[in-house]
Amino acid sequence: MMETTTLLLLSLSAFMFGIGLYGLISKRNMLRMLLAAEVNFNAALLALLAFASSSPSPEAASVGGITALLAIGIAAADVGMLVSIAILMYHLRRRLDVYELKESKG
Amino acid sequence: MSALEIALTPSFIVFVVLAAVAVASAFLVVEHKSLVYSAFFLGVLGMANAVIFSLLGFTFIALFHLAVYIGAAVTFILFAITMFEEVPPVERRVRFIAIFAALLAFVLIVGVFGTYFAGTVQPSYVDYKTLAGFLTEKYWFALLVAGLTLVTTLIEAITLARIERRE
Repeated sequence: MMETTTLLLLSLSAFMFGIGLYGLISKRNMLRMLLAAEVNFNAALLALLAFASSSPSPEAASVGGITALLAIGIAAADVGMLVSIAILMYHLRRRLDVYELKESKG
Repeated sequence: MSALEIALTPSFIVFVVLAAVAVASAFLVVEHKSLVYSAFFLGVLGMANAVIFSLLGFTFIALFHLAVYIGAAVTFILFAITMFEEVPPVERRVRFIAIFAALLAFVLIVGVFGTYFAGTVQPSYVDYKTLAGFLTEKYWFALLVAGLTLVTTLIEAITLARIERRE
């Protein structure tokens, strides 16, 4: 049983989100940006489940759990999607620099 | 217990260790020189998160996170990364903006949502039968939309990966 405050969990989540945001802004490699976005996803999932478990209603915990399940499934699909975009970009440009993406219109 | 009172129970010590592992892994995901190690540390971060989920009472979701997210998604990234080469880093000015944005995000999240998170965690222990019941009876439409999204994403991923390079 975990006896800690949700504020601690929220702080952990916010700190992880900050690290992910730093990675998203400061990197040019598409895959590094994807990894940073996944850190953000993990932080958001932690906040969601902490919020669900802090609710006194048992139904709220179940709804939080269902949302988390759907989010994990969709995040896994999202990874597949972004990696296939990266493969396509590498085929076309031989680089994964997102600064070159604006030249790939149409 | 008030919002900032902390009891030094074994589970709290485990939580502190897991939080340290999660933060260190998150930092290494973003800053490690090798992309392969970055993906590896994303897996470590996912595992630390999964253990925290199970401490919160969401054991089934922790297992799902381990199987689907780390078992499939992170492993997929890890294999895909081996095909690519590195890109030069951004200039120093953008790094400072990124650090400022990260700090601002931390302050805003804790400041805005802190009032909603002022209570103590009550582990819920939601079992998979309850979750399955909710998913199939009450939230079937969300399940349907998620399923359709997954199928669409799969088709898009296959289509994108099969596009040939134009000469």
